[in-house]
Amino acid sequence: MTKTSFLNLSRRSLLAAGAVALATPMLTRRSWANESLVVADPGGPFADGYRKAFYEPFTAATGISINGVARDAEPTAQFKSIVETRSYIWDVCTLTLSARLILEEEDLLEPLNIEPAKVANVMPEAVHPNMLGTDVYATVMAYNTDMLPEAPTGWDAFWDLDRFPGRRCLRKNPIDTLEIALMADGVLPADLYPLDLDRAFRKLDQIKDNIDVWWTGGAQSTQLLESGEVDMIAGWNARFQAAIDNGAPAKIVWNGGLYSIEGWGVPKGNPKADLAREFVAFCAQPEMQAKFTDDLAYGPTNLRAYDHIAAERAAILPTAPQNLQVMSLASEPFWKANRSAITERFNGWLLS
Amino acid sequence: MSVIQNVPGLRRFPVGPLWLVLPAVALLAVFFLFPMGRLFLLGVQDPATGAFTGEHYSRVFDTSVYWRILAITFRIAILTALFSVLLGYPLALWLSRMDSRRQALIALLVLLPFWTSYLVKTFAWMILLGNRGVLNTLFMDVGLIERPLRLMYNEFGVIIGMVHAMMPLAVLTMLPVMNGIDQRLALAAGTMGASRSQRFWLVYFPLSVPGAAAAGLLAFVTSLGFFIVPAFLGGRGQTMLAQAIITQVQELVNWSFAAVLASLLVITALASIWVYNKLFGLSVISGAESDDLPKRTSLLRTGGQRLLRFMAWVSAPFDRFRSPDGITNKKVSIYPLLALAFLVAPILVVFPIAFTSSNSLQFPPPGYSLRWFEQYLTSPVWISATLRSFGVAFATAFFATVLGGLAALALARSKSLWNGPIFALILAPMVVPRIVIAVGLFYLMAQMGLVATDAGLVIGHTLLAIPYCFITIGAVLKNYDWRLNQAAETLGAGRFTIMRRITLPLLRGGVVSAGLFAFVTSFDELTIAIFISGGLKTTLPKQMWDDMFLQLNPTLAAVSVVVLAIVTVILLVAQKIQK
Repeated sequence: MTKTSFLNLSRRSLLAAGAVALATPMLTRRSWANESLVVADPGGPFADGYRKAFYEPFTAATGISINGVARDAEPTAQFKSIVETRSYIWDVCTLTLSARLILEEEDLLEPLNIEPAKVANVMPEAVHPNMLGTDVYATVMAYNTDMLPEAPTGWDAFWDLDRFPGRRCLRKNPIDTLEIALMADGVLPADLYPLDLDRAFRKLDQIKDNIDVWWTGGAQSTQLLESGEVDMIAGWNARFQAAIDNGAPAKIVWNGGLYSIEGWGVPKGNPKADLAREFVAFCAQPEMQAKFTDDLAYGPTNLRAYDHIAAERAAILPTAPQNLQVMSLASEPFWKANRSAITERFNGWLLS
Repeated sequence: MSVIQNVPGLRRFPVGPLWLVLPAVALLAVFFLFPMGRLFLLGVQDPATGAFTGEHYSRVFDTSVYWRILAITFRIAILTALFSVLLGYPLALWLSRMDSRRQALIALLVLLPFWTSYLVKTFAWMILLGNRGVLNTLFMDVGLIERPLRLMYNEFGVIIGMVHAMMPLAVLTMLPVMNGIDQRLALAAGTMGASRSQRFWLVYFPLSVPGAAAAGLLAFVTSLGFFIVPAFLGGRGQTMLAQAIITQVQELVNWSFAAVLASLLVITALASIWVYNKLFGLSVISGAESDDLPKRTSLLRTGGQRLLRFMAWVSAPFDRFRSPDGITNKKVSIYPLLALAFLVAPILVVFPIAFTSSNSLQFPPPGYSLRWFEQYLTSPVWISATLRSFGVAFATAFFATVLGGLAALALARSKSLWNGPIFALILAPMVVPRIVIAVGLFYLMAQMGLVATDAGLVIGHTLLAIPYCFITIGAVLKNYDWRLNQAAETLGAGRFTIMRRITLPLLRGGVVSAGLFAFVTSFDELTIAIFISGGLKTTLPKQMWDDMFLQLNPTLAAVSVVVLAIVTVILLVAQKIQK
């Protein structure tokens, strides 16, 4: 088939080009002077953070210009169409770990072939053959410091309606919510997977009628915390940080948090894959990753980046040592295998 | 154009008028039917081998979840349509009694919430209805209530948000029909001894039913595909099918099952349209002549007339409170004001926030400044998104009105067997959830090189807007007196002249409404923009969504205010030109 032969051909030639490129940086710099890449990021504050951390420094170093565009929340559907119709409107795109597994299964990702030396200090969970994690986000609890009589320290507090009265809010999604229920029930983070679903739903039954709001969008969770609509909420740390930055009387509880990783992937068969690989490898550097933390409350995956981050700022980032050690990594393989069935069960549970 | 040349064949051949429907059908066949067909094929294929299989469909029967979600979807859509028509009818009636200049001005107020993005409106409702929101704070301060009322994160909140979104649509669909009703009929009935109640219920109301029925179906079908409002204002029990489809497409990348769920929605929507057809007759919407209606629905008709007589009898004692014409009631004109206040409420929240000095959507704002306008106006990204949105929306309004209008004309005159299928096809883009259209369209346009082009956006938006234009113009055609054409013909006017001098001027209200619907549909469209723009050709809602997804800030409010100002100016200018 023409498609396969084209892919084989391009991969071989791209590999060769990549090897040449790595071997002779001076030469490539000149030859790439008129090249450009379209990079899809989540937009919003990411656009600013990534531009300062990755796009501008990369252009300065290589002469390759970067056109940053905003992508959809979960770009898997677009990614699939881009590869299948061979219309490469994006050269590089940010993915979550779960998106990576989905795309990998359908063979939609280009191998990155990053030299191990370049990612020596990057968290091992962030380095994959077809994706390089650049930032870490975490599902944590946030609470309204004005409304709660004392500071909660873990998920059991979320279930303790007597000691912690107040309006509660969870995400209308089984991911992380079931883990939270199990941790509140005393399961250690190390023993979470495979999830004991019956136990998790039994635990959720206990507070089902006490959840005042089920949030569905990240910006909504910021609004809910900031406006005082709810007093205890589980969600993504950066969204809560945005509320705190806006002056909301709120704090984040890192203990029992679940983190996950976001990073770069390249659509399979992309004719510019060699340039794209060069860009992805560039983003592994600690100095670059440190720069996006000014704009984004996400943690760098290269932990050496903390050499360049002020301690005060580091305290609100998921990969700062004191935060990372009390959290655990959400298991993407488990969710990949079970998400569909669990989502169905969770929706049924919500409606019953 | 060949279309116009074919018009003279109108009466000679039974299929004659149907030629007018061709451009719309061609567009829908290529950019809607084909990609949808390809997508639905996925629902009966094994993803790995491509062999036919029923496994995806059997999954729906393994659990009751999807049937429950379907039932919730229908319930919410029916309630939304019901309240939109019930609450919108008196408002439309009140508007239709005004002289045209005043009506146009007040209609602007009805349109106003229409121009505010769904995203922004929904957030405005969150600020109004929250536990510590504006309404609860107000009620508690006044001493009306002791504890905050649960105004959202339940069905009530969803219905408020959806009715708010659909009511302008309902009012603007009913208004042209009401404007077309000859006021002298009620007067004539009066001279023959009809009481004021009888004049309304037995003369005026039946004439206005086509508008109300069109408005109801439009609101119902549009509501079926909603996902933003239930996601943000709903609670545990408010999950609509479109949300389940989005989960399958975006989170689980299970297009096969998404196709199954989408077909479930489409089939049930078509079934409800079929039931509707049996009850009211679709001619009510398509504008076809209703010669055969009494036969088919004689039972309903008798029942309906009894009900109207009953209503007239019940409301008779209140006649002396009414104004002499028996239709409007000057003393109770407080209702239209309340309805307008409901429609404009979110704007009242958005405006102050646009001028806030704070970084957040805090209400009331702690201080005022112009910083968010400055941010908007100095941002090349926002400005180019705004310009593109206006351009795409204008083009969409033009194409959708022409194609939808021609289709409505064709179906109004045709008695072909094809009417039913064509009617279903033209309404179909409204029924199919946009996420499904977007995925299918993206796939096709990627192959054609239309992704990330303005043309791609215009085509996608025109697909969505055609049904609205078709229904709106069709509803006006319902009251169109075709004998005028014959009269003009006997006086020697050609088909084109008749169209230009007679038909178009008489349909002007409907055509303008249709154009506005199409404009708004495009201007506020997010899902297709997300896919087709590829992030490269950003429209305003797409840009708002990008901003909103990660970081809510008052730029959104500032953008809304600027857009409102521009649109108001455009509408006012349009009115001046019309005169």
